[in-house]
Amino acid sequence: MPPDRTSRTTGQVAERMDRLLLLMTTTTYRAGAFLDAARRLNIPVVVGSDCPQVLAAANPGGTLTVNFLESDEGSRTITEFAGQYPIQAVIAADDDGVILAAEASAALGLPYNSVEAVSAARNKYRMREVLAEAGIPTPRFRRISADENPGDVAPPVPFPCVLKPLSLSASRGVIRADNSEQFIAAFHRIVAILRRPELAAQGGELGREILVETFLPGVEVAVEGLLSKGRLRVLAIYDKPDPLNGPFFEETIYVTPSCLPTATQEKIVAHTAEAVKALGLWHGPIHAELRVNDQGPWVLEIAPRSIGGLCSRTLRFGDGISLEELILRHALRLEAESFERERQAAGVMMIPIPHGGILREVRGEAVAESVAGVEEIRITIPLGQEVVPVPEGARYLGFIFARGESPEGVEAALREAHRRLTFVITPDREDPEEKLESLSAERGHRADRRIATAG
Amino acid sequence: MLTITDPAQKKILALLETQGRQGSALRVAIIGRGPGGFQYDLRFVGSGEKGLEDVVVDAGGFQVFIDSQSAPNLEGSTIDFVEGISQSGFRIDNPSSIWTDPKAKAVQQVIDTRINPGVASHGGYVTLLDVKDDVAYIALGGGCQGCGMADVTLKQGIEVMIREAVPEIRQIVDTTDHAGGTNPFYQPSKGGQSPLA
Repeated sequence: MPPDRTSRTTGQVAERMDRLLLLMTTTTYRAGAFLDAARRLNIPVVVGSDCPQVLAAANPGGTLTVNFLESDEGSRTITEFAGQYPIQAVIAADDDGVILAAEASAALGLPYNSVEAVSAARNKYRMREVLAEAGIPTPRFRRISADENPGDVAPPVPFPCVLKPLSLSASRGVIRADNSEQFIAAFHRIVAILRRPELAAQGGELGREILVETFLPGVEVAVEGLLSKGRLRVLAIYDKPDPLNGPFFEETIYVTPSCLPTATQEKIVAHTAEAVKALGLWHGPIHAELRVNDQGPWVLEIAPRSIGGLCSRTLRFGDGISLEELILRHALRLEAESFERERQAAGVMMIPIPHGGILREVRGEAVAESVAGVEEIRITIPLGQEVVPVPEGARYLGFIFARGESPEGVEAALREAHRRLTFVITPDREDPEEKLESLSAERGHRADRRIATAG
Repeated sequence: MLTITDPAQKKILALLETQGRQGSALRVAIIGRGPGGFQYDLRFVGSGEKGLEDVVVDAGGFQVFIDSQSAPNLEGSTIDFVEGISQSGFRIDNPSSIWTDPKAKAVQQVIDTRINPGVASHGGYVTLLDVKDDVAYIALGGGCQGCGMADVTLKQGIEVMIREAVPEIRQIVDTTDHAGGTNPFYQPSKGGQSPLA
């Protein structure tokens, strides 16, 4: 176990030279946020990733290539590395790294969640089993094989139901079915997703399984929290004001603080804490998703990691520190001045992909950013690339961030900014010369502006 | 100041005629520095668009405007027009050193000899835009522009290499418009594959 450390200043942190292992695959959105936080704390960082970093040779103690899919092998790589470059904490930036983080932490004797607890949280079916056994309200569920004939298994739970592939996360492949016909169509659609070469090659046994559970009406919320020896400290509760009723479940707006009644929020926190305890999670960040209806909160998911995408930018604590800095401080047992979220309301819209095709142009960014309360718009898919909506897709067009005095005002700002944006998406084979020329000109203009600013 | 070769002069005059812009001037500017040296911008402008501090060169049939910032670095340069089987175009031979500041020269050397050969394997490149005091301003291009791992490349690679070689540089500022990247090497996504499998 690392020595107990308490410090308030980055200078003192630097003197101790704690080395932190950040596990993140090359598909992460979060590299910048975590590295910025480490920089602010002046903590030496090792980035452990699934593919070699391009300048790895220049900084041997700064990056590490590890096998995320074979976590025992990945853990061995980490422990060998730690022999030369001692590691004081392991943090997984995303879902992909949590099991590896658990195995490596166990091997190194560092505080983290157990492999068993993390594995249960990463497996939707196992999580449902654990929560149900603990008496925590959870939808009725059943697991079916992608190799089965859907006509033979329908309906495994009462309609309406939701089908979820066990090997995928977020909203990918999640489809609602209200009757047998829709169930069979959804089943075949998910099987087609799972057969995609990039997924089939890594899917293994779990990649052939589908969770079917009852659809729960109600509003959805997300809880961001931090566990210390099993004790849950809630950092934020987000409302998701867009109805998530299917047939697909694309995440869009998150706004905090929640507008739900205090009593309801207390129940949400209580259910989350019970679920965390049932799963055996006890250390580090958690992100929970719950449905709330007239029967109370229902736990849909507990993930042993922090909020995904770029959404953490909505959170600031104390005198402005980021969620990532809070997580790093917690992992290194550094004192945090405050876990209190700022007073202002904040929100994010994950910009949905309206239809598939090639993203040719984004119009209206400047006027969208001029909406009062909107802080930033980040388009994260490059022009000229294919965009795929859910349930097949796994990316957003980008993110809109806003802050304001009230959650309602933030939500309105996000919607207005989104309304002002136009995404030109053309069918795959269309390649209009004129449009491409005009885009080239725009990129040239951007480059000029950038150079002028730098100079 | 600046020499326009006969082939370049003829080509420019021909372009002015075909574009119906007789009487216009050619503006030549240095807009940056890249792996191949200075980066230039050549464009036709109206004769009334001469800046107060522009250097003006009479090229015979048209004028060349050069802004005061670009002028010192264009001293002794030659603009030629070359025609080849595979490609044709204007070529600028510039005897000026890309940097005069020793710190900038040292940073450029690290970029040229160590960083760019490395990031080239991902289709990327790094451009030194400027060095002011102890700050180096850079831009990432190609596969590095918009890459999901650009921050790792920057903080765990580029910064370490530059600081190690040029300790006077205390800060490296990435000015890249990452949203403008068209072919990033790694791209972020949500909802990937479970490592449980």
